[in-house]
Amino acid sequence: MREIPFKHRMGAHCESGTVSSLLNHAGMEITEPLVFGIAGGSFFGYMNTPFFSFPTIILRNRPGQIRTKVAKRLGIPFNTQKFRNQKAGIEALDTLLEQNIPTGAQVDFFYMKYIPEWQRVHINVHYITVTGKNEENYILSDSYYPKIAELDKELMRKARSAGGNMAPKGFLFYPGKIPETVPFDKAIIAGIKSACNNMLKLPVPFIGVKGIYRFAEKIMEWPRLARDIEHLSHEIMKINVLLEDQGTGGAGFRYMYATFLQQASGIINNPTLSEMSKRMMEIGDGWRNISYIAAKIGKKRELGENNLKELSNLIKGRGDLEKAFFQDLVKTV
Amino acid sequence: MKEKDLYVDYKPQQHIYYVEKEDQQYGPIVSGSYLSKNFLDDYWLKQKNLESSLRNKVIEGKISLIEYYMTLQELSIADLASRVNIRRAKLRKYLKPQFFNKISLPLLSKFAEVFDIPVANLFQVIIRKEGDRSTIDVIHLKTKNSAFVVTKIESKQQ
Repeated sequence: MREIPFKHRMGAHCESGTVSSLLNHAGMEITEPLVFGIAGGSFFGYMNTPFFSFPTIILRNRPGQIRTKVAKRLGIPFNTQKFRNQKAGIEALDTLLEQNIPTGAQVDFFYMKYIPEWQRVHINVHYITVTGKNEENYILSDSYYPKIAELDKELMRKARSAGGNMAPKGFLFYPGKIPETVPFDKAIIAGIKSACNNMLKLPVPFIGVKGIYRFAEKIMEWPRLARDIEHLSHEIMKINVLLEDQGTGGAGFRYMYATFLQQASGIINNPTLSEMSKRMMEIGDGWRNISYIAAKIGKKRELGENNLKELSNLIKGRGDLEKAFFQDLVKTV
Repeated sequence: MKEKDLYVDYKPQQHIYYVEKEDQQYGPIVSGSYLSKNFLDDYWLKQKNLESSLRNKVIEGKISLIEYYMTLQELSIADLASRVNIRRAKLRKYLKPQFFNKISLPLLSKFAEVFDIPVANLFQVIIRKEGDRSTIDVIHLKTKNSAFVVTKIESKQQ
C-alpha cells in the first residue's frame, strides 16, 4: 500500500478544483476561483451535436483549458502524458505514485462508483487526483466528494481508457517546479479579457451571449425532440443539474466568477472589479431562479407553451444582462 | 446569493457553492443539492418507467439490449459508436434484435465494458417479482473467463 500525504479539498468544479489542489500541494497558495478566472473559465454554449443524446448547455471553457491557460498565464510548467496503450498508462501512473507524486488524471465520470448512482453520467472530461493505491484500489481525491475515495483498479482502467468524444487516452498531469514569483496581475487581466472575448466575440452563433439567446430560442422546440412528457420533464430538470449540481459552484459558474472578480479586485487593486463582482452575483441569482423554475415545472409536468415561454424569456433576460456585463467588464482592465 | 438563502441540508449529495457570507465576502460553502433533496423521487419514478418501457420493447422484439442500455445511460448513437469503435450505421443495425444476434463476442465485450455490466447482461434483464419488498443484493462475480460470470443473489445484511 502506498498513500501520498495530500490535503483533500472539495471544489466546485473538477478541473479547477484538481488544478488548484495540485498547485497548493506543490507549494503555491491559490484559490479555486482564481484558477477559474485566470483561465478565463466563464463561458456559455448551446450544443446540439450528434455526441449528445439531447441538446445541452456548456457553461465553462473547453475541458483541459483551465490547466493549459493557468500554466501559460502564470508560467507554471505542467508535466503531461497521454497513452495509446492502456498497460503503459497504468505503469506510468504507478511509477509516479512510487515517486510520491500526486497525479491528476482524466477519466469518464460514469465509473466513479463512490458518487451516488443518480449523479453518474458518461462524460469523458472528469478530473481527479490519484494519491495512492493498495491491493485492490486506487486512492484518490475527487473535488466532488467530501473525503478521500477509493476506486477499484479495474474501474480506474475503464475510466481512463474509455473511448468516444474527448476520450481520456490515459491522460495524466502534475505541476513542475513553482517559480518564486508569478505574474498574478497580468494573468488576471489576461483571464478577464479572454472570458470577455469568449462571451462576446467568438464568431459562432451558439457560443457566448449568442449561445444564451440560442438556448432561449431553442428550448421552445424541446417538446418536439423529446420521446414523451417524462423525457421532456427529465431534460428540463437537467437544466437545474447543469447550472447547479454538475460542478459549477452554483448558477452555472456565475457565483464562482463573482468570487474571482472580488478576489482579483484586491490583488490588482482595482475597485471597479469589486463592483462588477456584485453585478455578476446578481446575474447568478437570476440563473439560480431559472434552475428553481425548471425543477418545479419539470416535476409538475407543467411543460406547455406558456411555461416554456416564461423560461425562455428569463434565459433571454440573462443574455441581455451578460452582454452588458461583459461589455463593461472588458473596459475595466 | 446569501449563504442562508442557498444552504440546503442534504447529506447524500453535497457540493461546493460560492455565496455571499455575512461579512459580504464571497466564498465557498458545502451545501446539499436542492434538486436531489426535493425531487429525487421523481427522478427514480421516471427511470423506473423508462426501464419498464424499454424492457417491454426488448420483450416484444422491437429493440436489442444495446438500445436498452444506451437509452438508460443517455448515450447518443455517435458517442456509443465511437466508444466501441464502430461506424454509426453499424451500431444502428445492432439496435435491432435481428442484427444483434450477429455481433461477435469481442464486440459484445466492448459494449459490456462501456455499460459496465457483465456480458451475460446483454442477454438478460434481472427483475424483482412485482410487489416483492424483500431486500436483496444481486452480485456479479467475475471469473478468469471474461465471458463468464457467477451471479449471486442474497439477502441484504441488515
